[in-house]
Amino acid sequence: MSKIDLKSGAPEGPLAQKWDSYKANMKLVNPANKRKYNVIVVGTGLAGASAAASLAELGYNVKAFCTHDSARRAHSIAAQGGINAAKSYPNDGDSIWRLFYDTIKGGDYRARESNVYRLAENSVKIIDQCVAQGVPFAREYSGELANRSFGGAQVSRTFYARGQTGQQLLLGAYSALMKEVDKGKVTLFPYREMLDVVMVEGKARGIITRHLHTGEIERHAADLVILCTGGYSRVYYLSTSAMNSNVTATWRAHRRGAFFGNPCYVQIHPTCIPVSGSHQAKLTLMSESLRNDGRVWVPKKKEDCKKDPSQIAEEDRDYYLERKYPSFGNLAPRDIASRAAKEVCDEGRGVGESGKAVYLDFAAAIKRDSESVVREKYGNLFDMYHEITNENPYKNPMRIYPAVHYTMGGLWVDYNLMTNLEGLFCAGEANFSDHGANRLGASALMQGLSDGYFVLPFTVTNYLGTYAQELLKKVETSHPAFEAAEQNVKDGINKMIAVGKKGKRTPSEIHRDLGNVMWEYVGMARTAEGLKVAIEKIAQLQKDFDENMLLNDDQNLNSNLQVAGRLADFLELGALMARDALAREESCGGHFRVESQDEGEAKRDDEKYAHVAAWEYKGKGAEPVRHQEELKFENVKLSVRSYK
Amino acid sequence: MAAHTTSKTINIKLKIWRQESVKDAGRFEQYSLDNVLTNMSFLEMLDVLNEKLLKEGVRPVEFESDCREGICGTCSLMISGQAHGPVRGATTCQLYMRSFENNDTITIEPWRAKAFPVVRDLVTDRRAFDRIQMAGGYTGAKTGPHADANAILVPKDLADRAMDAAACIGCGACVAACPNASASLFTSAKIAQLSLLPQGHPQRKERAIRMVGQMDKEGFGSCSNLQECEAACPKKISIQNIAIMKREYLFAALAANFREGMGSADGGA
Amino acid sequence: MVPLKRLFTSTLGRKYLMGASGFALVLFIVVHLLGNLTLYTGSGDAINTYAAKLDALGIGKLILELGLGLTILLHVVTAIQVTYSSKVARAVQYDAPKSKGGPTKNTVTTRNMIITGLVLLVFIVVHLIQFRFGPKIEDGYTANVSGVMVHDIYRVVVETFLDIKNVIFYVGSMFFLGFHFRHGFWSAFQSLGMLNPRWSKPIYCLGFIIAILLTVGFLFMPIYIYATQGGAQ
Repeated sequence: MSKIDLKSGAPEGPLAQKWDSYKANMKLVNPANKRKYNVIVVGTGLAGASAAASLAELGYNVKAFCTHDSARRAHSIAAQGGINAAKSYPNDGDSIWRLFYDTIKGGDYRARESNVYRLAENSVKIIDQCVAQGVPFAREYSGELANRSFGGAQVSRTFYARGQTGQQLLLGAYSALMKEVDKGKVTLFPYREMLDVVMVEGKARGIITRHLHTGEIERHAADLVILCTGGYSRVYYLSTSAMNSNVTATWRAHRRGAFFGNPCYVQIHPTCIPVSGSHQAKLTLMSESLRNDGRVWVPKKKEDCKKDPSQIAEEDRDYYLERKYPSFGNLAPRDIASRAAKEVCDEGRGVGESGKAVYLDFAAAIKRDSESVVREKYGNLFDMYHEITNENPYKNPMRIYPAVHYTMGGLWVDYNLMTNLEGLFCAGEANFSDHGANRLGASALMQGLSDGYFVLPFTVTNYLGTYAQELLKKVETSHPAFEAAEQNVKDGINKMIAVGKKGKRTPSEIHRDLGNVMWEYVGMARTAEGLKVAIEKIAQLQKDFDENMLLNDDQNLNSNLQVAGRLADFLELGALMARDALAREESCGGHFRVESQDEGEAKRDDEKYAHVAAWEYKGKGAEPVRHQEELKFENVKLSVRSYK
Repeated sequence: MAAHTTSKTINIKLKIWRQESVKDAGRFEQYSLDNVLTNMSFLEMLDVLNEKLLKEGVRPVEFESDCREGICGTCSLMISGQAHGPVRGATTCQLYMRSFENNDTITIEPWRAKAFPVVRDLVTDRRAFDRIQMAGGYTGAKTGPHADANAILVPKDLADRAMDAAACIGCGACVAACPNASASLFTSAKIAQLSLLPQGHPQRKERAIRMVGQMDKEGFGSCSNLQECEAACPKKISIQNIAIMKREYLFAALAANFREGMGSADGGA
Repeated sequence: MVPLKRLFTSTLGRKYLMGASGFALVLFIVVHLLGNLTLYTGSGDAINTYAAKLDALGIGKLILELGLGLTILLHVVTAIQVTYSSKVARAVQYDAPKSKGGPTKNTVTTRNMIITGLVLLVFIVVHLIQFRFGPKIEDGYTANVSGVMVHDIYRVVVETFLDIKNVIFYVGSMFFLGFHFRHGFWSAFQSLGMLNPRWSKPIYCLGFIIAILLTVGFLFMPIYIYATQGGAQ
């Protein structure tokens, strides 16, 4: 199999004019013809809901699918801190260029210049859009919008709605979606899980879904399919992702031929509440915004670690982020802050019972600004911390530790956000595109909404305009391709149920084991040796799954069956992540190869690895093929990412 | 210090509502669970129970949850007669076993309302909320260029009050806790948010009429001003919003004719 | 007239009617109490004069009575509708529902306004039979006030409250009035959308104070009569 040299397809010309030039030259669909096209959008998070609403507003008929009762429950809702935009309201020197530059640099020079610049351009429009929808952003007494600063930036460009920015932005997109449902332009399909993509004559023309309550397997045809199904952090079992977040939709597309880009790029968020026991199903993030006012420290001496923090004198504390990165201090980017926390804990200076935690201390902020000011800014986060740990963070410093939070990898897409399969688009966290090897805080919301509101409406139209003749010939769900895909899905379910009758290990147990392997070997520090171990161990777990899984056989509403189906895909993905991490013999962003470092700092290898790895599925058990897309940096100079 | 690291264990009895489907009659089943860590969340306790049941060949208890950090509104559960359990301002997923004592019997029921039919066990169908939202719970703003965000000035106190209302997570605890199964708090939170912000003003009359109309159509009960919804709301949303909704609806109902069906026109433009 | 139809058919509309009729009844009860305070003068002259002045309104009095009757009817009918729709909305009850405390006003009496209301309805019927449709001038209940012969309503009152059963019934009913009023007064403001956070508590307190004054004011009348007119002997 020869390797494909993938191309982004971004227009030529100066960076700042690429998107305008794209729009000026794109194919259009006339208003009367738009109603002849059907679009499937899978997932209703920020990207999915905004895309579905925007496409319906243009006049396309949209079918929107979600696993919940309502589109509003997608996990975008849990994003806390904020959304970046180059509005430059605080007059502090921000610009589209600077947001672009910070994002490219934050991603450790592993993202596409063209996409990131477009993202920065769109960021400005997103805020206007959301305000028009009635999103209640935080405001100053003047009535103008408030901003705060976030990791990886030296300007205040983050807009927020208390600690619930994701919720408010999603509810905005959701309300726009419901407006179109009300008009009849969007049909909602709740309680549906997508289990396969249907390809007809080389183009994505539909999906197969399972109704989670009735168990019914359904066929849905359309003229193109957009996957906005989020990230795959749950491959680690413990993460800040929701219980139902999964990789199934994108993985099934991958099995149909869509390339998976940079699967090993995972973001480990530095400020999460530490793990408390093996029963734990989910980790909780404490927003990065806390690092605006909180100071991260551990004791200088190991013997102080078990002491009450208030008994440790100021001079015996090591504010290690401020020490190592004086110019960014506590606001160092996530990958760097996480690794630094791991480092001090590995040195034996971690706190808490497990020794796997560092302090996030607000004493200085409370002393400076008063408790009520701190409460006003972070009240709900402090309450959340209190509820979970039963400790008062106004009195004692919080204890935090890194946890898996976001996956930069995802389906490979071109400048159109289309995968290598024609008619199969992918947006939001589900695609690999804009964050490179590390995502900056408050950029996920920006990307999801940029994709949905301001990219897909153009690129989808361009696609439909380009293939108008072909796509106007409608494909029926009675087509043999649907037949085959449905059978494939049913076979998979029946096989699990058959194994489930005689097996011993529950899906959650196998999932937990997979998570441990991933965290241990494909986590914050990766070695060639460890990655090979991971591949072996995952193969073992795969065997458990195939031969020794215990399942109740209810074919309708059956949570275990859902977990098992998703686990099947996580197992295959886990192995691919390890392979990808093994093949990338450099450290960049969230991917830290122990072999490639410079005095503890990640060492990139731009000669060999300034490219995207896009993996092709070759069948179960077969070696996947690694293709590449070269990343050209014409506007920024690749440099060692320094936050010192 | 460090209360959460010193977890103890308790033994509990569970009385859980089991129901095959909306068509079947339900019943309570008793289970006991020993050595439950008090720093477990309530839902993790149910996870443990379900693993045990699965291994014993009993169909696990179906319940809903997703984000497990109190924001998605997926989890529900009436816990010993209280929506989301005994802790105010928290969802079931934010409830920890330290709220219970050794040998407690905990009763777990689904939300009960005609408008929220039981799907199975503790899972109910809450799509009625979506249909209320659909009936005008939005501004008409389409995707596209809009005036600069700072062109619309919103006084901070109004923005804050709108945010207080917008914090609703749509879990349905208000309905579950209300002795009348009224959805007034849910419906009013959205109406209030959009009536407080200038962006919501162009369609405020239609919105009030249609959303209230849909709420009634779904079969929710009437508000008797008992404020139990606010007590049960995990986001402590105030019944002040209900007063706003009543005002909005009254003015809209008494207003001169306006065009109804805010969403019905120009769909294919 | 679609707008008016909404007022009678929507859940919110019904509560407007409940609230508005409630306010009207509050007004009536307060005036009624003020009128009845004349009883405490110790002789029948004051109340008989007051009654005579009302009688002198002629058709006006009839219209007022009719209006009052219709207001009560509206209040009761909407209450029954509201209660019924709520019962339907929660067909299956919880095992043992428990209030979550905090700001809640969910208590036995607030939850059962329909019960306290129906008790008051029974009271009203009895009260009307005993007084409005009780012994008349023709039955010899006459009094002479400043040389004019009027209906001796005072005698009716005294005779009624010489019976301990009536005293107990009246006193008991007034507790129901108190409970009904305590939630009802504030609730009417809320139902009509007239509350904001700043006024909510003061109005609840005001309702509470008026409820106590009304209850006590009415409650002592039968006892006072019973005690001072020899019923206790």
